[in-house]
Amino acid sequence: MITAIFLVAALIALGGAVGIVLFRNPIASVLSLVAVMLALSVLFLLLSAQFIFAVQVIVYAGAVMVLFLFVIALLGPIRELPTRRLPRQGLLAMILAAAFAALLVSLLGNLRYHAPDSTTDLNAFGSVQNIAFGLFTTYLYPFELTSLLLLVAAVGAIYLSRERRS
Amino acid sequence: MPLDAGTLQIGGESIASSWFLILAALLFSIGSVGILVRRNPLVILVCIELMLNAVNLTLVTFSRQLQNLDGQLFALMSLTVAAAEAVVGLGILVDIFKLRELEDVDDLSELKG
Repeated sequence: MITAIFLVAALIALGGAVGIVLFRNPIASVLSLVAVMLALSVLFLLLSAQFIFAVQVIVYAGAVMVLFLFVIALLGPIRELPTRRLPRQGLLAMILAAAFAALLVSLLGNLRYHAPDSTTDLNAFGSVQNIAFGLFTTYLYPFELTSLLLLVAAVGAIYLSRERRS
Repeated sequence: MPLDAGTLQIGGESIASSWFLILAALLFSIGSVGILVRRNPLVILVCIELMLNAVNLTLVTFSRQLQNLDGQLFALMSLTVAAAEAVVGLGILVDIFKLRELEDVDDLSELKG
């Protein structure tokens, strides 16, 4: 059952990822990215990361993707022409990425791990309490810096979208 | 200490953690193909989001395999950074489109050295 869920989610994720690259229409690309994100959120749930699952669905598949769709609606269609600068770019990109994927798969397929500390309670592993405990103790300063980053991003977005006086 | 090949016990079934890692590697590679092939700057940003998601899957898988929560916390941080990156990237894109007509990313090569 778990294996079947993994296989279905993995197939949806891979199909969606191929769709992002192949669809001509940017709206179709964004929607297939939403499919990839929902499939990945199922995988996060399998890996007992409940909080990451919720954040993935709400923040990523919800907020960020709606932002992309808004920008596409604002800008209108962009004509996509084949490149004039580099011949056979698609083929070169495929070869390089296939080589990179082969390297990654051969590295990741043969990993060996130390046996984990078996005292961890897996039912509460990725729960909000555990995440919050980690964020507010060990990683307090990175967490606060993240809020600063979000503030900078918000100020930057407002600055970029201001009315221009020529 | 003994080393094992990394099997996850999920709901009474065991599944190799390398499957999750290989899936993440494939998603990352497909995202990089998209960045190299597509000419539309919006779709390139979408492909960057795909690659960041693949990395998140790797972090969460290692976190579960080693039963150490740090990986999930890193994934949370990278999610925040990805959201900020999308906001600023799209803001820059809208600003560029306001300034001039753009056909594809090759038209943005003015700062090239």
